[in-house]
Amino acid sequence: MTTMTGAKEWVRMERLSKVYPNGTVAVKEVDLTIHEGEFLCFVGPSGCGKSTIFKMITGLSNPSSGTLQVMGASASVARKRSDTAFVFQDHTLLPWNSVIDNVTLPLALRGVPRKERQREAERVLEMVGLKDHMRSMPRELSGGMKMRASIARALVARPKLLLMDEPFGALDEITRQTLQIELLELWRQDPEMTVLFVTHNVFEAVFLSTRIAVMTPRPGKVSDLIDVPVPFPRDESFRTTPEFGQIVRSVSQALKH
Amino acid sequence: MREETMTTPELSFGTSAGTSTTKLRTSSLKKVWKRIGPPSIAFILFIGAWELFCRLSGLKPYLLPKPSDIVLAASENASNLWVSVYTTITEAVLGFLLSIVLGVGFAILLASSKLIERSIYPYAIIMQTIPIVAIAPIIVIWFGAGMNAIIIIAFLIGFFPMLSNTLIGLNSTDHNMKNLFYLYNASPLQTMIRLRIPAALPYIVAGLKISCTLAVIGAIVGEYIAGIGGGNGGLGYAITVASSRLQTAYLFACGLSASLLGIAFFLLVNAFSKWMLSSWHESEMKSSEG
Repeated sequence: MTTMTGAKEWVRMERLSKVYPNGTVAVKEVDLTIHEGEFLCFVGPSGCGKSTIFKMITGLSNPSSGTLQVMGASASVARKRSDTAFVFQDHTLLPWNSVIDNVTLPLALRGVPRKERQREAERVLEMVGLKDHMRSMPRELSGGMKMRASIARALVARPKLLLMDEPFGALDEITRQTLQIELLELWRQDPEMTVLFVTHNVFEAVFLSTRIAVMTPRPGKVSDLIDVPVPFPRDESFRTTPEFGQIVRSVSQALKH
Repeated sequence: MREETMTTPELSFGTSAGTSTTKLRTSSLKKVWKRIGPPSIAFILFIGAWELFCRLSGLKPYLLPKPSDIVLAASENASNLWVSVYTTITEAVLGFLLSIVLGVGFAILLASSKLIERSIYPYAIIMQTIPIVAIAPIIVIWFGAGMNAIIIIAFLIGFFPMLSNTLIGLNSTDHNMKNLFYLYNASPLQTMIRLRIPAALPYIVAGLKISCTLAVIGAIVGEYIAGIGGGNGGLGYAITVASSRLQTAYLFACGLSASLLGIAFFLLVNAFSKWMLSSWHESEMKSSEG
Protein backbone atom coordinates (compact mmCIF):
# COMPACT_ATOMS: atom_id res chain seq x y z
CA MET A 1 0.00 0.00 0.00
CA THR A 2 2.79 2.42 0.79
CA THR A 3 4.98 1.87 -2.26
CA MET A 4 3.49 3.84 -5.07
CA THR A 5 5.88 3.18 -7.92
CA GLY A 6 3.97 2.16 -11.00
CA ALA A 7 0.59 3.18 -9.59
CA LYS A 8 -1.54 5.59 -11.62
CA GLU A 9 -1.03 9.30 -11.12
CA TRP A 10 -4.18 10.79 -9.59
CA VAL A 11 -3.03 14.36 -8.94
CA ARG A 12 0.03 16.04 -10.39
CA MET A 13 1.25 19.50 -9.39
CA GLU A 14 4.20 21.13 -11.12
CA ARG A 15 5.47 24.49 -9.90
CA LEU A 16 1.90 25.16 -8.86
CA SER A 17 1.42 28.69 -7.50
CA LYS A 18 -1.44 30.84 -6.35
CA VAL A 19 -1.09 34.57 -5.98
CA TYR A 20 -4.14 36.51 -4.82
CA PRO A 21 -4.98 39.82 -6.51
CA ASN A 22 -3.74 41.72 -3.45
CA GLY A 23 -0.28 40.23 -3.96
CA THR A 24 -0.39 37.59 -1.22
CA VAL A 25 1.47 34.47 -2.30
CA ALA A 26 -0.74 31.71 -0.89
CA VAL A 27 1.01 28.80 -2.58
CA LYS A 28 4.46 28.92 -4.10
CA GLU A 29 5.83 26.44 -6.63
CA VAL A 30 4.51 23.21 -5.22
CA ASP A 31 5.70 20.01 -6.90
CA LEU A 32 3.76 16.98 -5.78
CA THR A 33 2.44 13.84 -7.41
CA ILE A 34 -0.25 11.81 -5.71
CA HIS A 35 -0.90 8.23 -6.80
CA GLU A 36 -3.91 5.96 -6.82
CA GLY A 37 -4.73 4.47 -3.45
CA GLU A 38 -2.69 6.91 -1.36
CA PHE A 39 -3.86 8.51 1.86
CA LEU A 40 -2.04 11.80 1.82
CA CYS A 41 -2.29 14.41 4.55
CA PHE A 42 -1.45 18.04 4.10
CA VAL A 43 -0.36 19.23 7.49
CA GLY A 44 0.65 22.74 8.46
CA PRO A 45 -0.32 25.79 10.47
CA SER A 46 -3.15 28.05 9.36
CA GLY A 47 -2.16 30.28 6.49
CA CYS A 48 0.24 27.75 4.96
CA GLY A 49 -1.86 27.43 1.82
CA LYS A 50 -3.20 23.94 2.38
CA SER A 51 -6.79 25.03 1.90
CA THR A 52 -5.78 26.99 -1.18
CA ILE A 53 -4.25 23.86 -2.71
CA PHE A 54 -7.51 22.12 -1.94
CA LYS A 55 -9.58 24.81 -3.56
CA MET A 56 -7.45 24.49 -6.69
CA ILE A 57 -7.83 20.70 -6.79
CA THR A 58 -11.61 21.04 -6.42
CA GLY A 59 -11.74 23.74 -9.08
CA LEU A 60 -13.13 26.36 -6.72
CA SER A 61 -10.05 28.46 -7.40
CA ASN A 62 -7.76 28.67 -10.43
CA PRO A 63 -3.96 28.36 -10.26
CA SER A 64 -1.99 31.52 -11.02
CA SER A 65 0.81 29.57 -12.64
CA GLY A 66 2.18 26.07 -12.97
CA THR A 67 0.30 22.90 -13.90
CA LEU A 68 -2.33 21.03 -12.01
CA GLN A 69 -3.71 17.79 -13.34
CA VAL A 70 -6.43 15.84 -11.64
CA MET A 71 -6.90 12.36 -13.07
CA GLY A 72 -5.33 13.41 -16.32
CA ALA A 73 -7.42 16.55 -16.82
CA SER A 74 -7.82 20.05 -15.48
CA ALA A 75 -9.47 20.39 -12.09
CA SER A 76 -12.80 21.64 -13.39
CA VAL A 77 -13.01 18.92 -16.05
CA ALA A 78 -12.19 16.27 -13.45
CA ARG A 79 -14.93 17.59 -11.19
CA LYS A 80 -17.48 17.32 -14.00
CA ARG A 81 -16.72 13.59 -14.23
CA SER A 82 -18.03 13.18 -10.69
CA ASP A 83 -15.16 10.97 -9.54
CA THR A 84 -14.37 13.43 -6.80
CA ALA A 85 -16.12 13.84 -3.46
CA PHE A 86 -15.79 16.38 -0.69
CA VAL A 87 -16.04 16.57 3.07
CA PHE A 88 -15.67 19.92 4.80
CA GLN A 89 -15.04 20.87 8.39
CA ASP A 90 -18.66 21.92 8.56
CA HIS A 91 -20.94 18.93 7.97
CA THR A 92 -23.01 20.97 5.44
CA LEU A 93 -26.04 18.70 5.78
CA LEU A 94 -29.26 20.29 4.55
CA PRO A 95 -31.31 20.81 7.74
CA TRP A 96 -34.65 20.35 5.95
CA ASN A 97 -33.74 16.92 4.56
CA SER A 98 -33.57 13.62 6.39
CA VAL A 99 -30.24 11.81 6.65
CA ILE A 100 -31.01 9.57 3.70
CA ASP A 101 -32.08 12.48 1.49
CA ASN A 102 -28.87 14.28 2.41
CA VAL A 103 -26.77 11.25 1.60
CA THR A 104 -28.40 10.69 -1.78
CA LEU A 105 -27.98 14.35 -2.79
CA PRO A 106 -24.94 13.86 -5.10
CA LEU A 107 -26.81 11.07 -6.91
CA ALA A 108 -30.05 13.03 -7.08
CA LEU A 109 -28.24 15.98 -8.63
CA ARG A 110 -26.98 13.63 -11.34
CA GLY A 111 -30.43 12.24 -12.02
CA VAL A 112 -29.79 8.72 -10.73
CA PRO A 113 -33.13 6.85 -10.40
CA ARG A 114 -34.70 6.74 -6.95
CA LYS A 115 -34.37 2.98 -6.44
CA GLU A 116 -30.66 3.00 -7.14
CA ARG A 117 -30.19 6.06 -4.93
CA GLN A 118 -31.93 4.27 -2.11
CA ARG A 119 -29.76 1.19 -2.53
CA GLU A 120 -26.50 3.13 -2.62
CA ALA A 121 -27.53 5.24 0.37
CA GLU A 122 -28.30 2.17 2.43
CA ARG A 123 -24.92 0.72 1.46
CA VAL A 124 -22.94 3.74 2.67
CA LEU A 125 -25.11 4.35 5.72
CA GLU A 126 -24.43 0.76 6.71
CA MET A 127 -20.71 1.42 6.25
CA VAL A 128 -20.71 4.45 8.55
CA GLY A 129 -23.10 2.83 11.04
CA LEU A 130 -26.03 5.19 10.54
CA LYS A 131 -28.51 2.82 8.94
CA ASP A 132 -30.82 3.03 11.94
CA HIS A 133 -30.85 6.80 11.68
CA MET A 134 -31.55 7.25 8.01
CA ARG A 135 -34.98 8.80 8.61
CA SER A 136 -33.66 11.17 11.28
CA MET A 137 -33.24 14.85 10.71
CA PRO A 138 -29.69 16.24 10.98
CA ARG A 139 -30.50 18.23 14.13
CA GLU A 140 -31.32 14.99 15.93
CA LEU A 141 -27.77 13.70 15.41
CA SER A 142 -24.68 14.32 17.53
CA GLY A 143 -21.65 16.07 16.06
CA GLY A 144 -19.91 12.79 15.30
CA MET A 145 -23.00 11.32 13.66
CA LYS A 146 -23.41 14.41 11.50
CA MET A 147 -19.86 14.00 10.31
CA ARG A 148 -20.50 10.30 9.59
CA ALA A 149 -23.53 11.31 7.52
CA SER A 150 -21.39 13.85 5.71
CA ILE A 151 -18.79 11.15 4.95
CA ALA A 152 -21.55 8.80 3.79
CA ARG A 153 -22.73 11.49 1.39
CA ALA A 154 -19.21 11.78 0.00
CA LEU A 155 -18.87 8.00 -0.46
CA VAL A 156 -22.30 7.42 -2.01
CA ALA A 157 -21.08 8.02 -5.56
CA ARG A 158 -18.06 5.71 -5.13
CA PRO A 159 -15.49 8.47 -5.63
CA LYS A 160 -11.95 7.80 -6.78
CA LEU A 161 -10.69 10.92 -5.09
CA LEU A 162 -11.94 11.96 -1.66
CA LEU A 163 -11.01 15.47 -0.56
CA MET A 164 -11.36 16.15 3.15
CA ASP A 165 -10.76 19.64 4.52
CA GLU A 166 -10.23 19.37 8.29
CA PRO A 167 -13.28 17.14 8.59
CA PHE A 168 -12.74 16.29 12.27
CA GLY A 169 -11.60 19.75 13.31
CA ALA A 170 -14.81 20.59 15.15
CA LEU A 171 -15.16 17.28 16.98
CA ASP A 172 -14.04 16.31 20.46
CA GLU A 173 -10.87 14.22 20.78
CA ILE A 174 -12.63 10.94 21.59
CA THR A 175 -15.04 11.15 18.67
CA ARG A 176 -12.21 12.29 16.48
CA GLN A 177 -10.12 9.19 17.24
CA THR A 178 -13.05 6.86 16.64
CA LEU A 179 -13.80 8.48 13.31
CA GLN A 180 -10.14 8.29 12.28
CA ILE A 181 -10.21 4.51 12.66
CA GLU A 182 -13.54 4.28 10.84
CA LEU A 183 -12.23 6.43 8.03
CA LEU A 184 -9.19 4.20 7.55
CA GLU A 185 -11.51 1.17 7.35
CA LEU A 186 -13.62 2.87 4.69
CA TRP A 187 -10.52 3.79 2.72
CA ARG A 188 -9.14 0.25 2.89
CA GLN A 189 -12.38 -1.20 1.56
CA ASP A 190 -11.79 0.50 -1.78
CA PRO A 191 -8.17 0.04 -2.98
CA GLU A 192 -8.74 2.52 -5.81
CA MET A 193 -9.85 5.37 -3.59
CA THR A 194 -7.34 8.10 -2.89
CA VAL A 195 -7.83 10.36 0.09
CA LEU A 196 -6.41 13.86 0.39
CA PHE A 197 -6.81 15.08 3.92
CA VAL A 198 -6.09 18.55 5.27
CA THR A 199 -5.34 18.92 8.96
CA HIS A 200 -3.29 20.98 11.37
CA ASN A 201 -3.08 18.10 13.79
CA VAL A 202 0.25 16.25 13.49
CA PHE A 203 -0.98 13.19 15.41
CA GLU A 204 -3.99 12.86 13.17
CA ALA A 205 -1.81 13.15 10.06
CA VAL A 206 0.63 10.47 11.22
CA PHE A 207 -2.12 8.11 12.31
CA LEU A 208 -4.00 8.30 9.02
CA SER A 209 -1.55 8.79 6.20
CA THR A 210 0.59 6.76 3.95
CA ARG A 211 2.43 9.99 3.21
CA ILE A 212 2.49 13.45 4.74
CA ALA A 213 3.03 16.70 2.88
CA VAL A 214 4.38 19.15 5.45
CA MET A 215 3.52 22.72 4.55
CA THR A 216 5.08 25.92 5.84
CA PRO A 217 3.62 29.40 5.52
CA ARG A 218 4.70 32.70 3.95
CA PRO A 219 4.84 31.77 1.18
CA GLY A 220 2.88 28.52 1.42
CA LYS A 221 4.93 25.62 0.13
CA VAL A 222 5.46 21.92 0.66
CA SER A 223 8.67 21.85 2.66
CA ASP A 224 8.88 18.10 3.28
CA LEU A 225 7.32 14.86 2.15
CA ILE A 226 7.39 12.24 4.86
CA ASP A 227 6.45 8.60 4.28
CA VAL A 228 4.59 6.75 6.99
CA PRO A 229 5.71 3.19 6.24
CA VAL A 230 3.46 1.56 8.79
CA PRO A 231 1.24 -1.23 7.49
CA PHE A 232 -2.54 -1.26 7.78
CA PRO A 233 -4.79 -2.04 9.55
CA ARG A 234 -3.76 0.49 12.16
CA ASP A 235 -5.61 0.58 15.45
CA GLU A 236 -5.43 2.44 18.75
CA SER A 237 -2.22 0.63 19.75
CA PHE A 238 -0.40 2.34 16.86
CA ARG A 239 -0.73 5.66 18.66
CA THR A 240 1.51 4.44 21.48
CA THR A 241 4.27 2.74 19.46
CA PRO A 242 7.79 4.24 19.39
CA GLU A 243 7.50 4.37 15.61
CA PHE A 244 4.47 6.67 15.88
CA GLY A 245 6.32 8.99 18.25
CA GLN A 246 9.32 9.06 15.97
CA ILE A 247 7.30 10.06 12.89
CA VAL A 248 5.42 12.67 14.90
CA ARG A 249 8.78 14.10 15.95
CA SER A 250 10.12 14.27 12.44
CA VAL A 251 6.90 15.92 11.15
CA SER A 252 7.00 18.45 14.00
CA GLN A 253 10.65 19.10 13.21
CA ALA A 254 9.81 19.70 9.56
CA LEU A 255 7.04 22.13 10.56
CA LYS A 256 9.54 24.29 12.44
CA HIS A 257 11.60 25.12 9.36
CA MET B 1 -25.47 19.59 24.37
CA ARG B 2 -28.38 20.67 22.24
CA GLU B 3 -29.09 17.15 20.93
CA GLU B 4 -30.09 15.99 24.36
CA THR B 5 -32.38 18.87 25.20
CA MET B 6 -34.06 18.51 21.82
CA THR B 7 -35.65 15.18 22.68
CA THR B 8 -39.20 16.10 23.52
CA PRO B 9 -39.70 17.26 27.10
CA GLU B 10 -42.87 15.17 27.43
CA LEU B 11 -40.74 12.07 27.30
CA SER B 12 -38.80 12.86 30.43
CA PHE B 13 -42.07 13.63 32.20
CA GLY B 14 -43.56 10.34 31.04
CA THR B 15 -40.97 8.29 32.88
CA SER B 16 -42.25 9.50 36.24
CA ALA B 17 -45.18 7.13 35.61
CA GLY B 18 -48.83 6.72 36.67
CA THR B 19 -49.07 8.01 40.22
CA SER B 20 -47.99 11.51 39.33
CA THR B 21 -50.27 11.82 36.29
CA THR B 22 -53.13 13.50 38.13
CA LYS B 23 -50.71 15.79 39.88
CA LEU B 24 -49.27 16.62 36.50
CA ARG B 25 -52.70 17.42 35.09
CA THR B 26 -53.58 19.83 37.87
CA SER B 27 -50.22 21.49 37.63
CA SER B 28 -50.61 21.95 33.87
CA LEU B 29 -54.09 23.43 34.48
CA LYS B 30 -52.48 25.80 36.91
CA LYS B 31 -49.96 26.74 34.27
CA VAL B 32 -52.72 27.49 31.75
CA TRP B 33 -54.53 29.57 34.34
CA LYS B 34 -51.35 31.47 35.14
CA ARG B 35 -51.02 32.34 31.49
CA ILE B 36 -54.59 33.33 30.60
CA GLY B 37 -55.91 34.26 34.03
CA PRO B 38 -54.42 37.74 34.54
CA PRO B 39 -55.19 39.06 31.06
CA SER B 40 -58.81 37.79 31.22
CA ILE B 41 -59.34 39.45 34.59
CA ALA B 42 -57.85 42.67 33.27
CA PHE B 43 -60.17 42.44 30.25
CA ILE B 44 -63.29 41.96 32.38
CA LEU B 45 -62.28 44.81 34.69
CA PHE B 46 -61.67 47.10 31.73
CA ILE B 47 -65.02 46.35 30.09
CA GLY B 48 -66.82 46.70 33.43
CA ALA B 49 -65.16 50.07 34.10
CA TRP B 50 -66.06 51.26 30.62
CA GLU B 51 -69.72 50.25 31.04
CA LEU B 52 -69.87 51.87 34.47
CA PHE B 53 -68.21 55.06 33.29
CA CYS B 54 -70.69 55.47 30.40
CA ARG B 55 -73.71 54.78 32.62
CA LEU B 56 -72.58 57.15 35.39
CA SER B 57 -71.26 60.01 33.25
CA GLY B 58 -74.24 60.06 30.93
CA LEU B 59 -71.97 60.51 27.93
CA LYS B 60 -73.85 60.64 24.62
CA PRO B 61 -73.78 57.18 22.97
CA TYR B 62 -72.71 58.64 19.62
CA LEU B 63 -69.53 59.87 21.35
CA LEU B 64 -68.74 56.74 23.35
CA PRO B 65 -71.17 53.82 23.23
CA LYS B 66 -71.34 51.38 26.15
CA PRO B 67 -69.91 47.90 25.55
CA SER B 68 -73.45 46.57 25.83
CA ASP B 69 -74.54 48.99 23.06
CA ILE B 70 -71.80 47.65 20.81
CA VAL B 71 -72.84 44.04 21.39
CA LEU B 72 -76.45 45.02 20.78
CA ALA B 73 -75.59 46.86 17.55
CA ALA B 74 -73.56 43.91 16.35
CA SER B 75 -76.30 41.38 17.06
CA GLU B 76 -79.05 43.57 15.56
CA ASN B 77 -77.04 43.98 12.34
CA ALA B 78 -75.52 40.51 12.49
CA SER B 79 -76.38 39.57 8.93
CA ASN B 80 -75.04 42.85 7.49
CA LEU B 81 -71.94 42.62 9.61
CA TRP B 82 -71.36 39.04 8.52
CA VAL B 83 -71.66 39.97 4.84
CA SER B 84 -69.16 42.81 5.37
CA VAL B 85 -66.70 40.58 7.19
CA TYR B 86 -67.09 37.87 4.59
CA THR B 87 -66.48 40.32 1.74
CA THR B 88 -63.39 41.73 3.43
CA ILE B 89 -62.04 38.25 4.13
CA THR B 90 -62.46 37.30 0.49
CA GLU B 91 -60.67 40.41 -0.72
CA ALA B 92 -57.87 40.15 1.83
CA VAL B 93 -57.26 36.46 1.18
CA LEU B 94 -57.24 36.86 -2.60
CA GLY B 95 -54.94 39.87 -2.38
CA PHE B 96 -52.69 38.01 0.05
CA LEU B 97 -52.49 34.94 -2.18
CA LEU B 98 -51.64 37.15 -5.15
CA SER B 99 -48.90 38.86 -3.18
CA ILE B 100 -47.43 35.48 -2.18
CA VAL B 101 -47.44 34.06 -5.69
CA LEU B 102 -46.15 37.18 -7.40
CA GLY B 103 -43.83 38.25 -4.57
CA VAL B 104 -42.10 34.88 -4.32
CA GLY B 105 -42.18 34.43 -8.08
CA PHE B 106 -40.55 37.77 -8.79
CA ALA B 107 -38.00 37.22 -6.03
CA ILE B 108 -36.97 33.92 -7.62
CA LEU B 109 -36.69 35.64 -10.98
CA LEU B 110 -34.57 38.45 -9.53
CA ALA B 111 -32.40 36.04 -7.54
CA SER B 112 -31.66 33.84 -10.52
CA SER B 113 -29.86 36.61 -12.35
CA LYS B 114 -27.68 39.29 -10.83
CA LEU B 115 -28.25 41.42 -13.92
CA ILE B 116 -32.03 41.35 -13.61
CA GLU B 117 -31.77 42.00 -9.89
CA ARG B 118 -29.47 44.97 -10.32
CA SER B 119 -31.65 46.51 -13.00
CA ILE B 120 -35.08 46.02 -11.43
CA TYR B 121 -34.69 45.88 -7.66
CA PRO B 122 -34.01 49.62 -7.14
CA TYR B 123 -37.34 50.39 -8.78
CA ALA B 124 -39.06 47.82 -6.63
CA ILE B 125 -37.75 49.66 -3.57
CA ILE B 126 -38.87 53.01 -4.93
CA MET B 127 -42.33 51.64 -5.66
CA GLN B 128 -42.50 50.30 -2.14
CA THR B 129 -42.17 53.83 -0.75
CA ILE B 130 -45.17 55.13 -2.70
CA PRO B 131 -48.06 55.42 -0.23
CA ILE B 132 -50.73 53.00 -1.37
CA VAL B 133 -53.50 55.49 -0.63
CA ALA B 134 -51.93 57.86 -3.12
CA ILE B 135 -52.12 55.43 -6.03
CA ALA B 136 -55.39 53.78 -5.06
CA PRO B 137 -57.51 56.22 -7.14
CA ILE B 138 -55.45 55.32 -10.22
CA ILE B 139 -56.16 51.66 -9.59
CA VAL B 140 -59.86 52.46 -9.32
CA ILE B 141 -59.70 54.27 -12.68
CA TRP B 142 -57.97 51.30 -14.29
CA PHE B 143 -59.92 48.45 -12.76
CA GLY B 144 -63.20 50.12 -11.86
CA ALA B 145 -64.64 50.49 -8.38
CA GLY B 146 -65.36 47.24 -6.61
CA MET B 147 -63.82 43.90 -5.85
CA ASN B 148 -61.08 43.90 -8.49
CA ALA B 149 -59.58 47.23 -7.46
CA ILE B 150 -59.78 46.30 -3.77
CA ILE B 151 -58.03 42.98 -4.32
CA ILE B 152 -55.30 44.74 -6.25
CA ILE B 153 -54.81 47.28 -3.46
CA ALA B 154 -54.63 44.45 -0.88
CA PHE B 155 -52.17 42.68 -3.16
CA LEU B 156 -49.95 45.72 -3.71
CA ILE B 157 -49.62 46.47 -0.03
CA GLY B 158 -48.50 42.89 0.74
CA PHE B 159 -46.42 42.38 -2.37
CA PHE B 160 -43.24 44.26 -1.45
CA PRO B 161 -42.68 42.70 1.98
CA MET B 162 -43.02 39.31 0.29
CA LEU B 163 -40.67 40.27 -2.52
CA SER B 164 -37.92 41.78 -0.40
CA ASN B 165 -38.07 39.13 2.32
CA THR B 166 -37.91 36.29 -0.17
CA LEU B 167 -35.11 37.95 -2.07
CA ILE B 168 -33.02 38.44 1.07
CA GLY B 169 -33.66 34.79 1.96
CA LEU B 170 -32.66 33.52 -1.48
CA ASN B 171 -29.45 35.55 -1.36
CA SER B 172 -28.37 34.55 2.13
CA THR B 173 -27.73 30.85 1.50
CA ASP B 174 -24.83 29.43 3.50
CA HIS B 175 -21.56 29.78 1.60
CA ASN B 176 -20.38 26.24 2.33
CA MET B 177 -23.67 24.78 1.11
CA LYS B 178 -23.41 26.75 -2.11
CA ASN B 179 -19.89 25.42 -2.61
CA LEU B 180 -21.16 21.92 -2.01
CA PHE B 181 -23.79 22.25 -4.72
CA TYR B 182 -21.25 23.80 -7.05
CA LEU B 183 -18.75 21.00 -6.47
CA TYR B 184 -21.38 18.36 -7.13
CA ASN B 185 -22.14 20.06 -10.45
CA ALA B 186 -25.66 21.15 -9.57
CA SER B 187 -27.42 23.23 -12.23
CA PRO B 188 -28.69 26.69 -11.25
CA LEU B 189 -32.23 25.31 -11.30
CA GLN B 190 -31.30 22.42 -8.99
CA THR B 191 -29.53 24.80 -6.65
CA MET B 192 -32.60 27.04 -6.61
CA ILE B 193 -35.09 24.26 -5.90
CA ARG B 194 -33.06 22.09 -3.56
CA LEU B 195 -31.04 24.71 -1.72
CA ARG B 196 -31.96 28.34 -2.11
CA ILE B 197 -35.75 28.14 -1.82
CA PRO B 198 -35.76 25.82 1.22
CA ALA B 199 -33.07 27.96 2.85
CA ALA B 200 -35.21 31.05 2.20
CA LEU B 201 -38.31 29.55 3.83
CA PRO B 202 -37.77 31.21 7.24
CA TYR B 203 -37.51 34.56 5.46
CA ILE B 204 -40.56 33.82 3.31
CA VAL B 205 -42.50 32.96 6.45
CA ALA B 206 -41.46 36.26 8.05
CA GLY B 207 -42.78 37.96 4.90
CA LEU B 208 -46.06 36.03 5.16
CA LYS B 209 -46.58 37.26 8.70
CA ILE B 210 -46.09 40.87 7.65
CA SER B 211 -48.14 40.62 4.47
CA CYS B 212 -51.15 38.86 5.96
CA THR B 213 -51.95 41.72 8.36
CA LEU B 214 -51.16 44.26 5.65
CA ALA B 215 -53.57 42.50 3.28
CA VAL B 216 -56.44 43.05 5.74
CA ILE B 217 -55.47 46.71 6.07
CA GLY B 218 -55.18 46.95 2.29
CA ALA B 219 -58.63 45.46 1.78
CA ILE B 220 -60.25 47.90 4.22
CA VAL B 221 -58.42 50.91 2.80
CA GLY B 222 -59.42 49.71 -0.65
CA GLU B 223 -63.05 49.58 0.46
CA TYR B 224 -62.85 53.17 1.75
CA ILE B 225 -61.79 54.29 -1.69
CA ALA B 226 -63.29 51.80 -4.10
CA GLY B 227 -66.01 50.17 -2.06
CA ILE B 228 -69.36 49.73 -3.72
CA GLY B 229 -72.60 49.98 -1.85
CA GLY B 230 -75.59 47.70 -1.97
CA GLY B 231 -75.64 44.48 -0.03
CA ASN B 232 -72.04 43.52 -0.68
CA GLY B 233 -69.91 46.27 0.81
CA GLY B 234 -67.00 45.14 2.94
CA LEU B 235 -66.04 46.30 6.42
CA GLY B 236 -64.33 49.45 5.10
CA TYR B 237 -67.51 50.44 3.32
CA ALA B 238 -69.67 49.63 6.35
CA ILE B 239 -67.36 51.79 8.48
CA THR B 240 -67.69 54.81 6.18
CA VAL B 241 -71.47 54.44 6.11
CA ALA B 242 -71.76 53.97 9.87
CA SER B 243 -69.55 56.98 10.57
CA SER B 244 -71.50 59.24 8.21
CA ARG B 245 -74.71 58.24 10.00
CA LEU B 246 -73.14 58.61 13.45
CA GLN B 247 -73.98 54.97 14.25
CA THR B 248 -71.05 54.90 16.63
CA ALA B 249 -71.93 51.61 18.30
CA TYR B 250 -72.03 49.81 14.96
CA LEU B 251 -68.85 51.62 13.99
CA PHE B 252 -67.18 50.11 17.05
CA ALA B 253 -68.57 46.70 16.15
CA CYS B 254 -67.12 47.01 12.64
CA GLY B 255 -63.74 48.15 13.97
CA LEU B 256 -63.65 45.27 16.44
CA SER B 257 -64.56 42.79 13.71
CA ALA B 258 -61.76 44.17 11.55
CA SER B 259 -59.24 43.76 14.38
CA LEU B 260 -60.45 40.25 15.15
CA LEU B 261 -60.21 39.42 11.47
CA GLY B 262 -56.62 40.67 11.36
CA ILE B 263 -55.69 38.72 14.48
CA ALA B 264 -57.34 35.53 13.23
CA PHE B 265 -55.61 35.86 9.89
CA PHE B 266 -52.25 36.36 11.57
CA LEU B 267 -52.72 33.40 13.92
CA LEU B 268 -53.65 31.21 10.97
CA VAL B 269 -50.53 32.19 9.04
CA ASN B 270 -48.46 31.79 12.18
CA ALA B 271 -49.77 28.27 12.74
CA PHE B 272 -49.08 27.43 9.11
CA SER B 273 -45.50 28.67 9.33
CA LYS B 274 -44.92 26.71 12.54
CA TRP B 275 -46.16 23.59 10.85
CA MET B 276 -44.00 24.18 7.80
CA LEU B 277 -40.75 24.85 9.61
CA SER B 278 -41.18 22.78 12.75
CA SER B 279 -39.11 19.83 11.57
CA TRP B 280 -35.91 21.74 11.00
CA HIS B 281 -35.78 25.43 11.68
CA GLU B 282 -34.73 26.71 15.06
CA SER B 283 -37.15 29.65 15.14
CA GLU B 284 -40.15 27.31 15.22
CA MET B 285 -38.90 24.38 17.27
CA LYS B 286 -40.78 23.20 20.33
CA SER B 287 -37.98 23.69 22.81
CA SER B 288 -37.05 27.25 22.13
CA GLU B 289 -33.44 27.43 23.25
CA GLY B 290 -32.44 27.70 19.56
